[in-house]
Amino acid sequence: MTAEVLDQERRVGERKWRRRSLWSLVLLIPLALGVEAYDSVKALLGDNDLFARRVAWGQSTHFGGSDWKLTDLRGAFGMSNLPPDSVPVLADFQVKVGDPDLQHLWLGCKVMLIDKDGRRWSPTSIVSLKTTDKVETCVSAIFSGAKSGDTLNLRETFLVPKEATKSIRPAVSVAGERPRFLLFQLEKD
Amino acid sequence: MMMRKSANTILLLVAVAFCYGLQVSKPRYGDLIGPIPARGKLGDTVVGRGFEVHAEKIEFARKLTVDQYGQSKVLTTGGVWAVVTVEFAARAQSTVVSVASWRGPTGLTYDQTERLSFMNGLLPVALDPGLPRKARLIFELRPDEVSNATLLVSEKLVAALDSQAEISLGPVTVAADGLPAGTVDMLDMAQPL
Repeated sequence: MTAEVLDQERRVGERKWRRRSLWSLVLLIPLALGVEAYDSVKALLGDNDLFARRVAWGQSTHFGGSDWKLTDLRGAFGMSNLPPDSVPVLADFQVKVGDPDLQHLWLGCKVMLIDKDGRRWSPTSIVSLKTTDKVETCVSAIFSGAKSGDTLNLRETFLVPKEATKSIRPAVSVAGERPRFLLFQLEKD
Repeated sequence: MMMRKSANTILLLVAVAFCYGLQVSKPRYGDLIGPIPARGKLGDTVVGRGFEVHAEKIEFARKLTVDQYGQSKVLTTGGVWAVVTVEFAARAQSTVVSVASWRGPTGLTYDQTERLSFMNGLLPVALDPGLPRKARLIFELRPDEVSNATLLVSEKLVAALDSQAEISLGPVTVAADGLPAGTVDMLDMAQPL
């Protein structure tokens, strides 16, 4: 074997590896991007309510370790001292606690109303309706020390424009389940 | 050979100039992740990501009267009070607008006064979609910071990568006493909006 042949063989080998390396980039670059972005994407998904799980009227659904059921959604018409054309809306839930670790599973618990245009109302502090029933809000329930098997009555109060009252549906999201959230349907749906 | 050398030198100089240009024009980190301005004038409706704001009017006063626990109280100032009446609206979801400041023509920036913190109708205001709300933004200013000022409104104190309404308030003429023309002696903050 002459030096020339050896040299040529080496060159062919080199070229082959160079090509392999280039092709591997096609795989490696997206993989690196994916690994880099994984935590950000996870945080983004964990922070948003994206995928609705519909719950039919009267049904109870397992969510965040407990069974959720919408028991009532009604407007409190005829109150004074409110912005014009606004209605306080009360949403009542009955929750049968399964996993009692609410401080983790229900972290950042959000109850909201969503209308047909996708507008979202959070509970209001403008209206507070007194009640004799033993009701809690989602956040106060987290610290209520509820045990497995207890039933919690939750109530949230919203302030909604009159025009939206026809199409609003209650929704619930908790940290343990995001980006999925529950969207409760009403009797008329 | 000589030709090549001088060409290389020129190339090097060009590269140095180019890199220097990149360096001086480089936006700072704070600019890159800072608030995103939504600009408008007094009377416009400025639309941000989460809220809309419409500045209706500005009033200037030497003193403010406020109701505190049923008692009337007068607040004086060594400068001038500026009271901006605004209307807020939430967009797609309920939100809270909590921060407003007044940027004078020289860049001096005044936060909202905290001397009336007990009063209703000041920030922070909670907003629900479809239910616009009026509010008062009250600033205690130096009289020479009044003209050609900008009102900055945002939901959070750190409005990183989020909208900040920037409302230019236009020129204000100065009267003989050094205060803005039309400054009233007393404004009653107990008046409904």
